[in-house]
Amino acid sequence: MFWKKEKKQTLQKGQQNLSLGLLKEILANLEDAEIVERQKPEGQCFTFIYIRTLIDQERMNEALFEPVLHCTNESIQDCISTSKAEEIFTLGEAEKQLLAGSVIIFDSLKKQWWSVLLTNNLGRSIETSDTETILYGAKDSFSEQLDTNITLIRRRLPVTELKSEKLKVGSLSETTVVLMYMEGVTNPEFVSIAKEKINKIDFDLFFDSSQIAAFMEDHQNSIFPQFQQTDRPDVCAYSLGIGKLIILVDNTPFVLIGPVTFFHLFQSPEDYINRWPVASFLRLIRYISFILSITLIPLYVALTTHHYQMLPLQILFVLVESRSKLPFTPFWEALLMLIILEIIKEASLRMPTKSSQTLGVIGGIVIGQAAVEAGFASKVLIVLVGVSAIASFLVPNYLVTKANTMIQFVFLLLSSFLGVFGIVLGMIIILAHLNSLTSLRQPYFAPVAPLYWKDWIDLFIRGPLTKMKTRPDHLHPFQKWRYSKRR
Amino acid sequence: MTSISIENNTSSFNGIYVFFIANRLQLLYFLYVMPTVLTHPYMIWGIILVGIFSQLNLILLSKWLSSEHASKGYPGFVHLFGQWMMRVFAAVGIVVIGIKVTVVTLGYVEIIHQFVFPSMNPNWLIVFIMAVCCYTASLGMGNAIRFSVIAFLCSIWMILLFYTFFMPPIASLPDLYPLIPEDWSNISWKGLLLIWSSLSGPEYIVCIAHLLNPRGSFLKYFTFANTLSVLEYLVLFIASLFFFGSKFLSLSKFPIVTMARYLQSPIFERVDIILICLNIFNLVFGVSIFLLCFYGALRILGKKLQTNHSKWGIQIICIIASVWLIAANKWIWREEHQSLLLNLEIWGSSLTYLLVPLFLLIFSRKKRGL
Repeated sequence: MFWKKEKKQTLQKGQQNLSLGLLKEILANLEDAEIVERQKPEGQCFTFIYIRTLIDQERMNEALFEPVLHCTNESIQDCISTSKAEEIFTLGEAEKQLLAGSVIIFDSLKKQWWSVLLTNNLGRSIETSDTETILYGAKDSFSEQLDTNITLIRRRLPVTELKSEKLKVGSLSETTVVLMYMEGVTNPEFVSIAKEKINKIDFDLFFDSSQIAAFMEDHQNSIFPQFQQTDRPDVCAYSLGIGKLIILVDNTPFVLIGPVTFFHLFQSPEDYINRWPVASFLRLIRYISFILSITLIPLYVALTTHHYQMLPLQILFVLVESRSKLPFTPFWEALLMLIILEIIKEASLRMPTKSSQTLGVIGGIVIGQAAVEAGFASKVLIVLVGVSAIASFLVPNYLVTKANTMIQFVFLLLSSFLGVFGIVLGMIIILAHLNSLTSLRQPYFAPVAPLYWKDWIDLFIRGPLTKMKTRPDHLHPFQKWRYSKRR
Repeated sequence: MTSISIENNTSSFNGIYVFFIANRLQLLYFLYVMPTVLTHPYMIWGIILVGIFSQLNLILLSKWLSSEHASKGYPGFVHLFGQWMMRVFAAVGIVVIGIKVTVVTLGYVEIIHQFVFPSMNPNWLIVFIMAVCCYTASLGMGNAIRFSVIAFLCSIWMILLFYTFFMPPIASLPDLYPLIPEDWSNISWKGLLLIWSSLSGPEYIVCIAHLLNPRGSFLKYFTFANTLSVLEYLVLFIASLFFFGSKFLSLSKFPIVTMARYLQSPIFERVDIILICLNIFNLVFGVSIFLLCFYGALRILGKKLQTNHSKWGIQIICIIASVWLIAANKWIWREEHQSLLLNLEIWGSSLTYLLVPLFLLIFSRKKRGL
């Protein structure tokens, strides 16, 4: 079969001996590939082969050309002090090194091939996180450079127990993935599961950590994220400290944290900065907001369509007055407004910051006010849509917010058919689904189901830090205690 | 570093799950109709007395659960009874579970139809409820067991709302008299049987014994579950006595729900609709466990235990169950036949609750003696 043939050829290419002719053949039609020949006064000739756009050209002159051409030592390795030279033997190795940002040097006299890594470290500086902003606490966030990201974590956890393992994924993108965990804290089963999953990935291109997550998730058809994605080093360091592992992906500022539970996605870095009663209150508000965001509009439809007898008379008067001139049923009215809201939300995300502010004004005042006056929506619904939209943003994880929207639409449909009963049926399905999910093969709905009572101190409320003496049981950490037992 | 198995921690359920399962299975449909049958205030003692008997029964059950046979699962049962007997038990189990699921589901559907959707065709309600039960059951026994925690947390708090019925002016102590029956012949054995039947359900834990951690302190959790169930029954019965009074209690078909119609909140004037709907958590949990047991019994009958569980299998069972429930709702769950089905369920549940632990313990002793 033809693909087997091609595989065989690739294998041969990888093992083929190096020659200038073959290298030139590979680099044909590569505009940015350079082959430079330099001769020493005594006659020894060196050929430098590199891809201009991948290397630091300023460094090349001072770190490579000058030392090599003026070197009197036997070996190139001894001449280059600022970078590390490695001897290479096969065409495959040369190709790999070239694409990684190395300069290949051919010593014509000794017939030796060397590679010197001179990668061009392009990248932005360390900036504040846009997706998880907090008022107090560290402001730095990850960038696209893998080494910088590792440094940011290592600075927070300066211990040798913090292990990092490098893996490669993507047959075309050759993306570097780094798995980090705390040896002696993180359960090794998580590490082996993660490694097994990464090694099993068979795909060509990876540009983002969420693509890696898509291959590593236990339940790919679920709307709930089974890995936490963050660009905050402090969140990563905290997660490592309590027994989770993290996966860093090259060229991505977002890091994957696993295993996670549904409840981890409601935790914010600020929870551990605020005083514990305040943090607990805010966390409870977040859960209430989540429930409100998915049930408020469906409840409006359920009450106005099926169970108006549930409402006190005064509220009923307000509702009847508000809906008296509307041409649509509550379901269509709510559906229309929710779709408009989603359009505004998506548009404001894609537009420049200044334009999105204008969009907010147009969406909030013009469309909202005009919809009521034109008789498309009731005032009560506009209020509820606004509350529901704001409530959905209280969940710190953006992926959960998006899942909220989908749930809201499904609940809307159920409530129009079955009223409150439909919403409850929908909730059962969601809870049963969450109960069946796993993240790195660990229960997603822990510590509620399966039940770990002790972990409830940091679940719906955030208990005092001094009382949180053990790491979460549901993560099965090797070191259970968070303080020295001698104390 | 030595490795520990996380899989064992998730698949082997601790004693606490026994508490959730037993408690929720004890509070299914009969909770709503029990006060109608008991009516007399001195039946409070009946609930306590039967609760104590139930506790004795649970002691036997917990003893068996801690035995070697229980942890083996099906081979343990075969060792005790033999394959032929197991098939007989499976056939009986299918009938008993079938009746239980029918009564529990149709009972709830009747409540929802009467109090929430009087104009809706009840067949639609059956279809929707069974679809959700099917989904929960199709996720497997492990997830169904874990769902007991969710069902418990979503429904237990509702009992607290009934505190208002214990407050004057609704509550009047003379409504609780006489606490000692004037004439012993008045004590309804049917009422006692209904309480016993209502407290049944924990016997189905034998079907999942192999999934439980054998080191779990089952008796402790059974005791908590049984005590909580008895307390819930007592609270609801006393509340209904305060609300209706002994004489009028039998006039309401669903006294607990009727009482709940008078509960109010500043936002909702009728809280009962929400309460009835939230009780579906309990129903879904119970029915999904029963459906899985039903499926297991069918596999024993069909000698298919060696083959892997199939999602299709449980889905076909659910479709058959839904069709059966729609048919039963049309032809059997009518005034003239309803009491027959209810009596069958009361007797069936009472007998399984009495005999299952007894049989298991007697046969275990017998085997040990041999």
